[in-house]
Amino acid sequence: MSDFVEECRREWKRLGVPDPVANEMAADLTADLQEAEAEGGSPEDVLGNSAFDPRRFAASWAVARGVTSPLASEERPSRWRPTVAIALTVLLGILTVAAGLALVVGVRGRSVAIATRRIVAVPGPIRVFPSGLGRIVPGPLGPFMETQISGIGLHPLALLLLIVGVVGLALLAVLYWWPWSGSRRYHRQRDQRSPSWN
Amino acid sequence: MASTEGRRTQLLRGVLDLCLLAVMEEGPAYGYEMTKRLRARGLSIVGEGSIYPLLGRLERDGVVETRRAASNGGPPRKYYSLSREGARALKAGVSEWQATRDAVDGALGLVKAEVRP
Repeated sequence: MSDFVEECRREWKRLGVPDPVANEMAADLTADLQEAEAEGGSPEDVLGNSAFDPRRFAASWAVARGVTSPLASEERPSRWRPTVAIALTVLLGILTVAAGLALVVGVRGRSVAIATRRIVAVPGPIRVFPSGLGRIVPGPLGPFMETQISGIGLHPLALLLLIVGVVGLALLAVLYWWPWSGSRRYHRQRDQRSPSWN
Repeated sequence: MASTEGRRTQLLRGVLDLCLLAVMEEGPAYGYEMTKRLRARGLSIVGEGSIYPLLGRLERDGVVETRRAASNGGPPRKYYSLSREGARALKAGVSEWQATRDAVDGALGLVKAEVRP
């Protein structure tokens, strides 16, 4: 069975078309497509430009036969999708603004440090022990702490977050919010092609 | 102003059901057979929509009757034929089309235009 018919079957299943009706339509379609192919023709000879949009074709046929409702054949908007898109947009927006502010305010040179060891004072030379042992020695050991604690510079971190935020927002804009993109583009194209003759 | 292709689609949309009924008058036919009959009469649907949804609507409206029968050496096919109501609808539709066509010809007849096949 051709990919086109398979795609139609999936759409009929999604629309709740009864199996006997779907089987009948699929059999008729398959027979016609095979006949056209045997005669050297193409699916377009049988289906017109519907050959390029199996889901639309399958839905309009099912609606015309009265085995599904026109409302069911409409693309069901996903409930979670707008919510996720809004949440991502807000999150990325906050991230971008915060990263931009951090860069503007000038945090160059500062660092976020994660101490993995503690420096303790013991008789004799200064030694480094795993965390949990001894006590933290303040002030005077500052210079040693600088050398013992690893950290991440805030400037590159802010820059990285800014890039992630901007790229993320751009991707979201292209994939979802832009009027000619994503699911909206599908609806626009759907209205422009594949007349259903109904 | 509609593009040439858009206008052709719109014009066909209004009369394709009549064209299908007309080719069914030749005798019962399955889907692709009707497409071939239309092509033989000079009307190609390539570049336009499929006739299957329209056939489904005609069946639902009771304008055509269907039966499943073996085709020549192939699998059983669904054959469409005119119902009595369909035959009446065809006559009425053709009359309406001719009147419309004459009126449009009257309006456009004086315009010289290159006729494309």
